[in-house]
Amino acid sequence: MNKSGLVIRLAIVIIFTAIIVGLITTQIFYRFTFLNEQARGEQSINQLYNTVSPTASIASYLGDKELAEEVINGLISNDIVTSAAIETDVMMVKSDNYFKSPDTLEFVLFSPFQKERRVGVLFVKANKIFISAKADKISGTNTFVVAIEAFIITVISILVTYYVITRPILSIGKALHSISPGTKQRIKKPTSHQESEIGQLADDVNDLLVKAEQQMLREKSLRSEVQVLESRFRMLFENATSAIVLVEPQGDILLYNETFEMLIEKLQLPLKKNYGNFLQDLFVMKKELHEQIKIAFANDESATSELELISSSEEKMWVQVVVTQLITDDFQENYQITLHDISKRKQQILLLDQKANYDSLTNLLNRQATEQRLKQLMATKVPFALIIMDLNDFKPINDIFGHDAGDEILIHVASQLLKNLRKADLLSRWGGDEFIIILPDAKKEEVINVCVKLASTLSKPHNLSQHNKSVFVTASMGASFYPDDQVELLELIRVADKAMYQVKKEKSANKELYLAFASDMNKPENNSQSS
Amino acid sequence: MKRFNFILTIVLLLLPITSVQAVEPLAVVVNKANPVDKMTRSELIDLFMGKYVAFPDDNKALPVELKGEHDIKVHFYQKLVGMPLSRVNAYWSRLRFTGRKRVAILQANEAELIDYIIANEQAIGYVPKSLITEDLKVVYILNE
Repeated sequence: MNKSGLVIRLAIVIIFTAIIVGLITTQIFYRFTFLNEQARGEQSINQLYNTVSPTASIASYLGDKELAEEVINGLISNDIVTSAAIETDVMMVKSDNYFKSPDTLEFVLFSPFQKERRVGVLFVKANKIFISAKADKISGTNTFVVAIEAFIITVISILVTYYVITRPILSIGKALHSISPGTKQRIKKPTSHQESEIGQLADDVNDLLVKAEQQMLREKSLRSEVQVLESRFRMLFENATSAIVLVEPQGDILLYNETFEMLIEKLQLPLKKNYGNFLQDLFVMKKELHEQIKIAFANDESATSELELISSSEEKMWVQVVVTQLITDDFQENYQITLHDISKRKQQILLLDQKANYDSLTNLLNRQATEQRLKQLMATKVPFALIIMDLNDFKPINDIFGHDAGDEILIHVASQLLKNLRKADLLSRWGGDEFIIILPDAKKEEVINVCVKLASTLSKPHNLSQHNKSVFVTASMGASFYPDDQVELLELIRVADKAMYQVKKEKSANKELYLAFASDMNKPENNSQSS
Repeated sequence: MKRFNFILTIVLLLLPITSVQAVEPLAVVVNKANPVDKMTRSELIDLFMGKYVAFPDDNKALPVELKGEHDIKVHFYQKLVGMPLSRVNAYWSRLRFTGRKRVAILQANEAELIDYIIANEQAIGYVPKSLITEDLKVVYILNE
């Protein structure tokens, strides 16, 4: 049995209450009985007095000792009287144990013939011990009866409470304890409580269990629905061909898919939690990314941009980046970034670009592309020097050794020229054996220097691989300056061309001549320079 | 109960007589030679009810009474202690057990009673006022 169990507690409370109520009741009853007995004792003494008063009056009146003694003896023969005495002017008759004390009862005796004539006093002492003993006895019996009554009531109370209330409640409680909600289990209604509050309690508990079961079933089906949906979403996300990343404004990655992981692996980068704002560390052109995002977000659009990824491998990787702003349910700003691999397309475009803009033989810019570049330079007002170069004695080589040898010479010249140019300079095959060299921001001296180098490089003999024959070519060059000489492209080329033909014309006379400036063409003298 | 009815009948029968008698006051008289001139009612009660057997001046007293239930005797006790004669007799009966004896002289009628008082110096008795003679001394008039 549980010490703090309902039954024990109830029993203790009932027993204690019974004991306390019993004690109080018996105490009150004792007091009451005692006082009652005392009053009854006094009443008895009064009655005794009434009985003996005529005789006592006569005895007092006559001063008759014998008669007085008779009265006294009569009085003390009663249980409730301890001692008695009669006192008159002439005599004092008393019982052996009489002495005067405050609790002595006094009765004035009058003459039997004259009611107003006082003849003596009768003293009576009540037997207190007898009275209290009697009270004790009565209340003792009473206490016993009360105790038995209390005991019977207690036992009945405990039994009734146990069988009618506690046991059914305990059985409900026990049943409830072993029931797991959401199942078909129900509590059995106690047979004796079909209509009572306890029966109602069982009914209510069962109702609650029914509700719990329904709720759980609903939740279960909902959960499975959510699971299916989640797995579909997961499939969609994980199997997406594009890398999808969810980032916080500070660049912390919240979520990424397998494709993103593979992309990072491909880039040979460590998988980190943060690649900067909008994954900026992954891109070569960070500035462009931020600009695109700024513009798009200002227009409430997703930012789209094609960007090159940083990569340690030689193969360049390009992706189409789409950054979408997302606001979560708790008003947090997140960004969804998709990276779609467009490397192949980029490569194809690059290849097409190559084909369109480069000479297939020398891999130098072709005429069309060069014109475009020049237009660009002119549009941006960048000053430059334009050198047009034509090979001398190329035709004979072509005629003697064939076109293959001619091609070989052209490739050789192109590579030699490239060697002596800066990175910013442009070299283009203008057509046939004609080349154009663009030197941005170049002064006349620089042009001369470059041309000297080019001339001396070309003058070295080249061994034709198929003919085992050493040949060398020379070149004639004409130079013009933009915008000093001409601001029109065609004019600029024309004047340079003119200068170049001037060199060719005078070559027969001056073998060492190879360069002329368009600006010198107007002055017939001193229009050429020698090294 | 029967007894009570009987007494009641007697009392009722006697009532007209006593009322006639009551008109005439009773006088308590003593011998002419007795030094006592006046007595109080209490002194009379004490003397006739046996408390004392002496006059207030300590001379011996001899109460003289009529025999039986004489009308005058009944009237006297009724007047003196307010009791019927039967109760007075009962009183004496009770006292008899304690050894106390009545010391009264009994006379058959008023004439004999008066004669005894005249002849006896210690005697004291009661007579209707009309019978008072020169030879008697009245110490108390009963009937106020």
